[in-house]
Amino acid sequence: MKKLVAILVLLPIISMAQPNCEAYKYEGKMSLYKACKKAKESQIFYQFTKQYQQILDEALKIDSTYAYAYQAKGYAYLKSGDFITWEKLLGKAVKYDEQQHLGYRGWCRYQFFRDYKGAIADIERLEEISKWDIGVGQNGDYHLTIAKALCYKAMGNKAKAIDIIEKQLKLEDHYIGLYDYLHLGVLYLESQKLDKAIAAFKVQEKENTLADNEFYMALAYKSLKDIPNYRKHLQKSYDLYQKRRHMFDPYTHQMDRIFLSDIAAEMKDTTFRQEKGNR
Amino acid sequence: MAVLNCQSTTQEAPHPEYQRFVGDIVFDTILDKKDFKVCNGEKNMLQYFNTGEGFKYKGEKPELVKKIKKNFKPVVGNENQNGFIRIRFVINCKGESGRYRILSSDFNYEPKEFDKAIVNQLMALVKELDGWETIAKNNQTLDYYMYLIFKIDNGRISEILP
Repeated sequence: MKKLVAILVLLPIISMAQPNCEAYKYEGKMSLYKACKKAKESQIFYQFTKQYQQILDEALKIDSTYAYAYQAKGYAYLKSGDFITWEKLLGKAVKYDEQQHLGYRGWCRYQFFRDYKGAIADIERLEEISKWDIGVGQNGDYHLTIAKALCYKAMGNKAKAIDIIEKQLKLEDHYIGLYDYLHLGVLYLESQKLDKAIAAFKVQEKENTLADNEFYMALAYKSLKDIPNYRKHLQKSYDLYQKRRHMFDPYTHQMDRIFLSDIAAEMKDTTFRQEKGNR
Repeated sequence: MAVLNCQSTTQEAPHPEYQRFVGDIVFDTILDKKDFKVCNGEKNMLQYFNTGEGFKYKGEKPELVKKIKKNFKPVVGNENQNGFIRIRFVINCKGESGRYRILSSDFNYEPKEFDKAIVNQLMALVKELDGWETIAKNNQTLDYYMYLIFKIDNGRISEILP
């Protein structure tokens, strides 16, 4: 069983590459250099373990301003839902290295706690102080700007969310996220911009076909009274779901995620059943 | 770790007296049912995401949300009922749950006590959830920790996480 535990705990780990200790040495920041070297010793332990936490505590005894150690200590608290301890730790990480840790905190506030206001505040602050692209959320699935747009959507400002995503997707250097066009399509669908919704879903289908995307595409066609396409995409959604080709995150559920019960309920709709019966 | 059952409180302050894993819930003879047992020993309990399959509930998340929201009665009229409430617990290798613990804060992540009418309802509803699925690796079913976070807005549940 010990081996099993060892294997399992190495599975999905949200973490961040540890800073390059040598850079601190080069800059003459010897206390940070020593803290960094100590913190590196934690990497062989699972984030939830006593040993991992204690090594990082030792690193912070060497230099209490070593921001990375606070974030690293926070991983286990985040993943166990202890928002109070996590926030305290991340508060210190941001205090000592705002630029490096704001994006992470903003992303986690959104992904784990649906703290939309807090996430927007962090991401917008990062936009203010960053000279470069603000980057992606911790799991790499979303650019932080897309995450910010989804927070605005959740707070009821769909027009702003659409505007932010449209602008981001037009940037030449935007690396398309796993679900960018799906979320944009859903925003269009919810705003009754059906043709635009279908166009976005088609891009998503090409980039990363998913049951969720097919489901929403079916709804868009249904609104347009294009019943053959409605039925086709709903069936495809069901088939993809059976193959587990749907939005997935091992820790949380993404916004706009659909479930088998959503597809099944839609399949009970007389429009779907009649069309199927008439074939 | 000071823990109170069916009361809204905080219990986990950052301190150096760590347990085996962050957040481990030790069996409490007063709070916990004696007939709730873990199968593989305390040292082998994992987290819900450790097998990489995520949240596992019969009917998936919508079924869980439906059961809770259908039965939760909003507590309105009492100001300042806003923030996060987490209920963390253990699911054993048979899919049974136990050892429930509560943590709560306001939206600034500061510790906060909620109206007991909210907390007690949530605790009762979480205890009634009977669709937890087991997780396994190499044909061995495991004991694991799970949590639910309730976002409370004006005494109503606005979101259930994860």
